[in-house]
Amino acid sequence: MSHSEFSRTLMLSARRAGLPLQYSGKYRPRMKVSLSPPLPIGMTSECELVDFFLEQYVSPAQAEQALESSLPEGIHVVRCRLMGSDAKPVGKLIDTAAYRVQLPPDAGNEGDWRRAVEIFLGMETVRFERVQPRRTRIVDLRPGVHTLEARAGASGYGVELFMVLDDGTRGTVKPSEVLKVLADSAGSPGESWRDALVHREGLFVRRSGRLVSPMELGKHRPAV
Amino acid sequence: MSDKVPGDLWENIEPLLLRVERPSRYIGCEWNAPHIAGEGTAVVLAYPDVYEVGISNLGLNILQEVVNDIRGASCERVYSPWLDMEREMRSSGVPLFSLETHRAVSTYDIFGISIPHELTYTNIVNLLNLAGIPMRAESREDGPLVIGGGCGTANPEPLAPFFDLFVLGDGEETIGSLVRLASEGKSLGWKRPKLLREASRLAGVYRPSDYEVDYRDNGMIESIRPAGAAPRRVRKRTVDIDEWLYPRLPIVPFCEAVHDRINVEIFRGCTRGCRFCQAGMICRPVRERSVDRVVGLVDTLEDRTGHEEAALSSLSSTDYTMIKAVVKKVSGICEQRRMILSLPSLRMDGFSAELASGLELGGRGSFTFAPEAGTERLRRVINKPISENDITEAVLCAVRGGRRRIKLYFMIGLPTETDEDVEAIGHLVFRLRDIVRREGIAPPMFNVSVSTFVPKPHTPFQWVKQETLESTERKQGILREILRARGINLSWHDSRMSTVESLLARGDRRLADVVESAWESGCRFDSWSEHFDYARWEGACEEQGADPAFHLYREREPDEVFPWEHLDFGVDRDFLYAEYQSALKGHTSPDCRGGKCVECGACEDQGAGPVLAGNWGS
Repeated sequence: MSHSEFSRTLMLSARRAGLPLQYSGKYRPRMKVSLSPPLPIGMTSECELVDFFLEQYVSPAQAEQALESSLPEGIHVVRCRLMGSDAKPVGKLIDTAAYRVQLPPDAGNEGDWRRAVEIFLGMETVRFERVQPRRTRIVDLRPGVHTLEARAGASGYGVELFMVLDDGTRGTVKPSEVLKVLADSAGSPGESWRDALVHREGLFVRRSGRLVSPMELGKHRPAV
Repeated sequence: MSDKVPGDLWENIEPLLLRVERPSRYIGCEWNAPHIAGEGTAVVLAYPDVYEVGISNLGLNILQEVVNDIRGASCERVYSPWLDMEREMRSSGVPLFSLETHRAVSTYDIFGISIPHELTYTNIVNLLNLAGIPMRAESREDGPLVIGGGCGTANPEPLAPFFDLFVLGDGEETIGSLVRLASEGKSLGWKRPKLLREASRLAGVYRPSDYEVDYRDNGMIESIRPAGAAPRRVRKRTVDIDEWLYPRLPIVPFCEAVHDRINVEIFRGCTRGCRFCQAGMICRPVRERSVDRVVGLVDTLEDRTGHEEAALSSLSSTDYTMIKAVVKKVSGICEQRRMILSLPSLRMDGFSAELASGLELGGRGSFTFAPEAGTERLRRVINKPISENDITEAVLCAVRGGRRRIKLYFMIGLPTETDEDVEAIGHLVFRLRDIVRREGIAPPMFNVSVSTFVPKPHTPFQWVKQETLESTERKQGILREILRARGINLSWHDSRMSTVESLLARGDRRLADVVESAWESGCRFDSWSEHFDYARWEGACEEQGADPAFHLYREREPDEVFPWEHLDFGVDRDFLYAEYQSALKGHTSPDCRGGKCVECGACEDQGAGPVLAGNWGS
C-alpha cells in the first residue's frame, strides 16, 4: 500500500470511529493529522504513527477501541497515547527507522553478506545514484546508516539483515538502497534479493545517541 | 484477510504484487468488502477497466450487495488488471482471480461483466482470455455462465458471440432471478444447455444465440429471426428504486477512486429528451427516490464509510422535483458531518442562486456545465433548448459563489451543424468571460472540453451518419484558432477514439471478429489515450474485411433493420423517428415531468408511469 493510500485509510477510519476530529480550511475542510515518514510500497510495519488533532478529550482507551473497530483488515491499533496540544507533531519528530530484512534463500550465503556489511561500515562515504521521478543524483548513504548487521536466518530462510537508518526530519535512506549496495558487494546471484521482505520494526527520535520512541517521549510532562 | 477458501490462489498472487505499480488494486480486504464463505452459488462481477474506475461504479456495487443478500449465494468482484499485472499474471500462469477469495474466475457459476461503453470491448475479451474461458459462447461446455449487463447492452451485438446472456435494463431483480435459477439448476443437476434455456426465458434476459441474423448483399440486415420459443423482441426490465435501497455498505477503497464519495441516486431515467443522449432514452420511465429515503441514505452511508463527500447522482440532478428541499436537508447533514455536497449533472436552466448556496461548501473548485452546442438553433435541434440567458446566469451564479474554474462541455459533429455553429462555441466563451468581467469579478479559468458527437442506438439520431475524421479535425482547427486566449483552456477527445466508439456503437455481430482481432493485436484500455492505438483498429478491420465506412459514414434508411431491432428498451421507434424529423426542422419537444406526455412509449411498455417525489416545479 502506498503512503497516500495508508494515510487516506487512516483518516476515513478515524471518521468512521466518530472521533471528534479537528478540521482546518474554509472552503475544503481538511482533517488535521500528522503522519510518520512514508513506508515504501511492499513493506510491512508494526510501528506506524499518526497524530489526530481532536476538538475534545477522549480517553486513549476509548479512542483505541473506536479506531480498532473502524480499521480495515490487516491494519491494527498498537496503542493510543494522549498528547498535549503543544506537542511536536509526529511528522516533525521522527528521524530514525529500524528495519529487519529477510532475504530469499537463493540470494547468497551469510559469509558474503557479512563481509559486504563490514565493507559498507568501513567506508567513509558510500556513493549511491538515487533515481527520482524528476532528477537523478549521487548521494552519500553512509552518514544515514547507523546500525547494519547480517545474521543467519532461521532454517529454510535466507540471510537476515538489521538496519537502523535515517528516516524523516534529518533525511531518508531507504532499506532498498542499502540492500542494493550490499547485494553488489556480496556478489548476490541474480536479482532475487529484490524480492526481500522488508519489515519496519521501529520509528524513533535520536536523543544524544539514544533511540527514543515517540510513545515514550516527554512522558514525565503532563499531557494536557 | 478472510479465512482461506479452497482454491485460493493467494500464494501465487502475492509474489507478483511486489513487481506491480499499485498492489492495492488486487488485494481486496477493503472496508465493507464482504466476507465470502465460498459455499453455494458463486457469482463474480467484473468491471472491464482498472480498479480505480471500476470501484466507483454504482451499478456493480448495488448488484454485489443484492446477490450477497440472497441466501445460498455469494458475489465477489474483479477488475481489469493493469498492463503490468497482466504481464506478471501471464508470465507466471496466474489466471484472473476474484478480489475477495482470490479464486480463479473460471470456477464460478456466474461471471457477470459490466459493459459501460464501446471502448472497453477489448478489455472484456481480455478478461475472458485471462480467466481461461473459451472466447466464444458456442465453444463453452462448462464453466460459468458469461453474462453482460449495463448501458452497453443497448446494442451488445458486436459482443454477441462472446456472451451466453445479456441482462437488459435495471439488473436488481433480474440478477436475483438468475442466481436463484442457477442454484436450482445446481441442486437438480441441470446441464449447461438446460440452464441456459431456462435462463433465457427470464424477463429482461437476452440470449444472443437465440437470434439468427440474415444479411442482404449490400451488407444491410434483412431480418433478425428468433429461434424456437424466443420472443420476437426482448424487453428490458426496470425497478422502483425506492424499493431497492442499495448500496447499504459501499466498499471504501484504499486508493483514491475516480468517484471518491458516497453516491446516492436521487432518480433513474430522464425525461428531458435530449436527442443525442442514449441514457436519457433507454432508462425511461423516470423514477425518483423520495426525499426522506435520500436523506436517510446520506446519513447512514457516511457512518458506514467515513467519506468526506456526498453526491446526489442522476442523469440531470436539477430535474429532481424536490431538488431544493433535498439539497437543503442534505447540506445540513453535510455541514454537521464536515462533508462536501456535490451535485453532478447540473442543467444550466435549472441552476439557481438558491441551489448554489446549498452547495457552497463545495468551495472554489471547478464547476461543470454542458451547453453542448454553441447556438440556440443547434441546441433546439438536439432538444436541449437552453437559452443564452440561462447559460450566462448559471455561470455568473457559480462565479459569484467563488468558483474559479468553469468547465464547459460541447460537442461537434452534431446533425445540421455548420461552421457558424462551431465558431459560435468560441464566441460564447468570450461573451461569458466579458460578462463576468463587467460584473467586476476577475474571470475564472474556462476549461472548454469539446468531444465528437457519436450517434447512438435507441436515440432519435440513430439514423445519422458519423462526421468524418477529416471534417472533425477541420472543425477542431476552427476552434483552436478562435479560442487562443489566456484564461481559456481548450481540450478535446481524440476524434479517432470517437471513430472506434462510433463503429462499435451501431455495429452488428459481424464486428465481433474485428474486436477479437484488435484484442489479439494488443489493444487494451482503449479509452485511455496513452494506450489507444488507432492503427491496430484499422489493421483489425482490414484483416477481417470489415468496411468501417459502411457502419460509420452512411445515413441509415428510414425503415432499415437495425442490429438492435430485437431489443426493446421501451421507447418506440416511431417516436424516435418523429423526434429525428423534428430535430431537422429545429422543433423542440417538451419534458414529460411537466405533465405533457410526449408518447415515447416507455410507460406503456413498462406498465408503469413516471414515479415522482413531489409536484413538478415545487
